[in-house]
Amino acid sequence: MSQTSHTLAAGGDNPRPTGGVQGPQRRLRLAAYPSLLAMPALLLLIAAMGYPLLTVTLRSFSDPAWGMQNYVWFFSTPVNVTVLWRTFSIAAWVTIVCVIAAYPYAYLMTAVGPRMRLVLILCVLVPFWVSGVVRTLAWVILLQDSGIINSVVRLFGLDTVKLIRTQTGVVIGMAQVLLPFMILPLYSVMRGIDLRLVQAARSLGARPSLAFLQIYLPLSLPGVFAGAIIVFILSLGFYITPALLGGPRSTMLSTLVQSQVLSLLNWGRGGAMGVVLLVATFVLLALAAPLMRQRHKQASRS
Amino acid sequence: MGSRSIVSGLVGAAALALIAAAAAHAQSAPPAGTVVDGSLKGKTLTFVSYGGIYQDGQVAALKEFVDKSGVKLLNDGPTEIAKLQAQVESGNVTWDVVDTDDFPPFVHCGKLFQKLDLTKLDVSHIPAGQVGECSVPAMNYGTVLMYKNSTYKDNPPKDWKDFFDTEKFPGTRAIDGSGSPIGGLIEQGILADGGSVDNMTPADIDKGIAKIKAIGPDTIFWKTGAESQQLAESGEADMIIMWTGRAMTAVKNGAAYTPVWKDWLVVMDQLTIPVGAKDTDASYALINAYLGKKSQEVLTEQTSYSPINTEAQPKVDASVAAFLTNTPEHAKQGYQQNIKFWVANFATASDKWTALMAGN
Repeated sequence: MSQTSHTLAAGGDNPRPTGGVQGPQRRLRLAAYPSLLAMPALLLLIAAMGYPLLTVTLRSFSDPAWGMQNYVWFFSTPVNVTVLWRTFSIAAWVTIVCVIAAYPYAYLMTAVGPRMRLVLILCVLVPFWVSGVVRTLAWVILLQDSGIINSVVRLFGLDTVKLIRTQTGVVIGMAQVLLPFMILPLYSVMRGIDLRLVQAARSLGARPSLAFLQIYLPLSLPGVFAGAIIVFILSLGFYITPALLGGPRSTMLSTLVQSQVLSLLNWGRGGAMGVVLLVATFVLLALAAPLMRQRHKQASRS
Repeated sequence: MGSRSIVSGLVGAAALALIAAAAAHAQSAPPAGTVVDGSLKGKTLTFVSYGGIYQDGQVAALKEFVDKSGVKLLNDGPTEIAKLQAQVESGNVTWDVVDTDDFPPFVHCGKLFQKLDLTKLDVSHIPAGQVGECSVPAMNYGTVLMYKNSTYKDNPPKDWKDFFDTEKFPGTRAIDGSGSPIGGLIEQGILADGGSVDNMTPADIDKGIAKIKAIGPDTIFWKTGAESQQLAESGEADMIIMWTGRAMTAVKNGAAYTPVWKDWLVVMDQLTIPVGAKDTDASYALINAYLGKKSQEVLTEQTSYSPINTEAQPKVDASVAAFLTNTPEHAKQGYQQNIKFWVANFATASDKWTALMAGN
């Protein structure tokens, strides 16, 4: 028993036994704790995610008859494959835009005083309190041809910029909605970085840019990866923003799922589309994981 | 009282004698709009529609029915056929009367929607040809071409041919991309292409869709009625295909657009009773009250959609009347899509339409 508790405690993520705790009894309870603590979340996930997912997967193989027909249909219909590819490409663009926009912002949050930090945190959180539809409609008003951005552009005598109903418009709108999911993990990692390490690098003769690239950036990468994964995965399922800000050429997979499930009542096909998206996401993450782990190790070593 | 209702009255009387327990509401096909006092006391009906001013207007049209029959009316929505399918499959149908768009009652007749027993409804004042096997109309409206006055000035588009002619009439087009394929528009595309719609085959669908695609990459496919209205009010598109209700509201709000009435597309919402509804007689009673002259007048006055009782004479102001589809002048210019064809080829047409929407 004490063996188990020792391994668990050494695992890193689990709470370490505090100094005052002694005796096998106490250790046993601690050993059981971590799994117990996860129970509520696990139960919720099984009920709200696992069961529906299982049903969707089953239906994709059984509706209207048992077999692979829904998957054959998916891959033999050009529009599905095009839109699947487009969905991943839009998600990647959104992730890149979010990283570029969030990194300096999160850094600023760690550098300013407490009052300014509160203001910056509020700026991140306030959009969370406004419904996604409202925010997207605000973007319609900003981006449309007769909108505010184009009025300003025309004021300077330039040609109208096509923003709405383009992929650019969709990426802008989605990046704004998803930015907090990038800023917050980044900030929490950056806050933990010991700035004396950067100072040490500088005192040893490194230029500021080198100190940043060699010391600060690697230490902040876990935050970048965490944020990027959240943003990327959330992007894949976006529905309202592409529908309102995009044109036909920025339709994402969720829109096709919606039309199969709600208009055509082909639940098997809709399920197959969902499963393909899920599996494709897993494959992509599995490919990216070794790379991230590598960086993570490097970062923790330095 | 017509001879038909007398006959059905007799049938009802026979049923009454047989099923004493159902006596309270077994009178068959009373004239549309009649409600028996206290006949549904203690009962609850769930009415499902699309929300907004439309459903508010429907509820107002049903107020007399609710007050007199004593029924408790619950409202739900928006109508989603997938939700209805889930209810029917699980055997727990909570919806009693469902308002749907054009095609579903034909596509899913007998499977999701009950075949209607017309001895329980007075359909004598419904415009000709609108009663389906599983549905009666809920209201009429139109899909109409609106053009921007400032773009076309003295030389505006006059029909669908001009809509598809981007050389003589340059400018962005906005099309109803809210869901089901717009059969009427595909048919107009086939006609503009020089084809015929008399004996359409599934191959013709491609021709019509190719004509729509040929408008070019700037085509806007709006997703909701509100979006189409926003496009008009902000002047974003030069020609917009709009529902008459939205077109009227946009013009009221200052959109400088003009409707083209030649071959406007006739569309309607449908009233249905789901398979497995708890109390079909009560559902029939609601629909029969809804079809009444007075109810239909209230509906039109509140929503600007055209009534489906030919005797209804709603009092509306000029701005509403301008967009009513049942005025003699508008009625004769309407274009009726080939519902039979679109229902028979619904899956094929939907797949092709979806591909068009997704830019393929």
